[in-house]
Amino acid sequence: MQKEGRMRRWGQQAYLLRLLVRRNIKNQYYRSFIGVLWTVLNPLLNMLVMAFVFSSIFGRGEGMTLDYSVYLLSGNIIFNIMRTSTSGSLTCLVQQRDMLQKTKVPIGLFPTANVLSSLVTFGFSFVALLLVMVIRAAAGAYVFHWQIVLTVAVVPAVTLFSLGLSYFLSALYVFFRDLKHIYSVILTLWTYMTPLFYTIETLKNDLVEKVLVFNPMYHYVTYFRDILSGTIPDAMEHLILYAFALVSFAIGYLFMNAVRNGIAAKL
Amino acid sequence: MKQIPHDENCVLEVHDVTMKFSRYDVGVDSLKELIVRAFKGDLRREKFVCLKHVSFTINRGEAVAVIGRNGVGKSTLLKIVSGILKPTSGWARTYGRISPLLKLGAGFDGNATGMENIYLNAAIMGYTKKEIDAKIDEIIEFSELGDFIYSPVKTYSSGMMARLGFSIAISMESEIMLIDEILAVGDMAFQQKCYDKLSQLRAKGLTFLIVSHSSAVKKLCDRAIWIERGHVVEDGPAAETFEHYSQAMMKK
Repeated sequence: MQKEGRMRRWGQQAYLLRLLVRRNIKNQYYRSFIGVLWTVLNPLLNMLVMAFVFSSIFGRGEGMTLDYSVYLLSGNIIFNIMRTSTSGSLTCLVQQRDMLQKTKVPIGLFPTANVLSSLVTFGFSFVALLLVMVIRAAAGAYVFHWQIVLTVAVVPAVTLFSLGLSYFLSALYVFFRDLKHIYSVILTLWTYMTPLFYTIETLKNDLVEKVLVFNPMYHYVTYFRDILSGTIPDAMEHLILYAFALVSFAIGYLFMNAVRNGIAAKL
Repeated sequence: MKQIPHDENCVLEVHDVTMKFSRYDVGVDSLKELIVRAFKGDLRREKFVCLKHVSFTINRGEAVAVIGRNGVGKSTLLKIVSGILKPTSGWARTYGRISPLLKLGAGFDGNATGMENIYLNAAIMGYTKKEIDAKIDEIIEFSELGDFIYSPVKTYSSGMMARLGFSIAISMESEIMLIDEILAVGDMAFQQKCYDKLSQLRAKGLTFLIVSHSSAVKKLCDRAIWIERGHVVEDGPAAETFEHYSQAMMKK
């Protein structure tokens, strides 16, 4: 009986999670003319604009082992997993406050749904990336490598990292509503502190390189680009990926649990 | 969990519940404020007792109103009853499922259609797809929304939204109905329909817990619990308790 109840609860929560993810995806491209196609077109067009703007400034920098458009898009779609899941999660509990005040529901489901929808978006963007790669390969500017399959090693790490951060931020936002403005500034800073459209070699700054090591997104982005250009990062790098992910997840999860009652009171 | 003898009739039990909050006396809700005040050194935490040793039990089929002025802890009590909030001491327990009746249009996603919102809302309340599927026709019919059910909720009028919310809450199978400041929904005809439906549900043995600070719900209840400053002042037949409550309010 008890076991049956638990199975029912899990099934129910999985169902709720699916509904939430579907809603997020729908809202993202709500009623746009070409609908889901936007999920592929959006990163593609963004990339085109950025490639056009930046390629003459940063594109011919040193240490560029990848074609610039591939470099740009690959970095951005990995970074976007974190960016979209955290900025969506920030307000997700407060937005649901009317329901959460009245119903007992595991609050962790809401940030989780945001992270999963970012993952779905990543899937679509990945298709866009493949398209770009095919085009660049046809032009002789890019060569495919089998190491691309290692994507399955880096994506779970980014996801776990984003999940922890999303738990933390959504819980904290309940108490501090000005976090929205602060976080958007942090996110901008984080974007520039991660080599998304430049390479660190072009900066020629030792200090920046030392600081970047502490930026988890730097490791995720670099790992992804390494495998795209055919290098397998060493064991240490794998360890770093998951160390960041696990620490973030642990902090976020524990924090959310610790303040659960406070959230219920405050909402 | 303590093992306690379970009386068959009892659906809701609140035992010696005390709720204390520790909060900043000025109600800090932004980081900026927290930091500025921390530097100025006027950040005092104060203990604030919201509910003191509140106990009561509600039997199957009863309709109970919790009355009291704003800020005496009614909403907190409701959160404790529904299991969202853990009390500082004591415990609350329900035997059966709770279905909350939300404020006007609360918890809806404006971009989603009425149909999608039914599924989403019911799923948040803890129902499975199968359970919702079984009730969907009833919900749509009761809401009288017709084809609007396939339009985004943001195109609804406030009355339509209230009707949808109400229909979801009363159509899903539950044992306890939590109602917070309501029944100003829709037009007169729909209000009447709601009251009829509620009495019908009562006749079926559903338990109601209604929170209010007005006496508009008097006719729906047979018992009232009057809370003042975290204490239960009076717990008795609805008519009498409401009478005493309004007298006390007049004096102030």
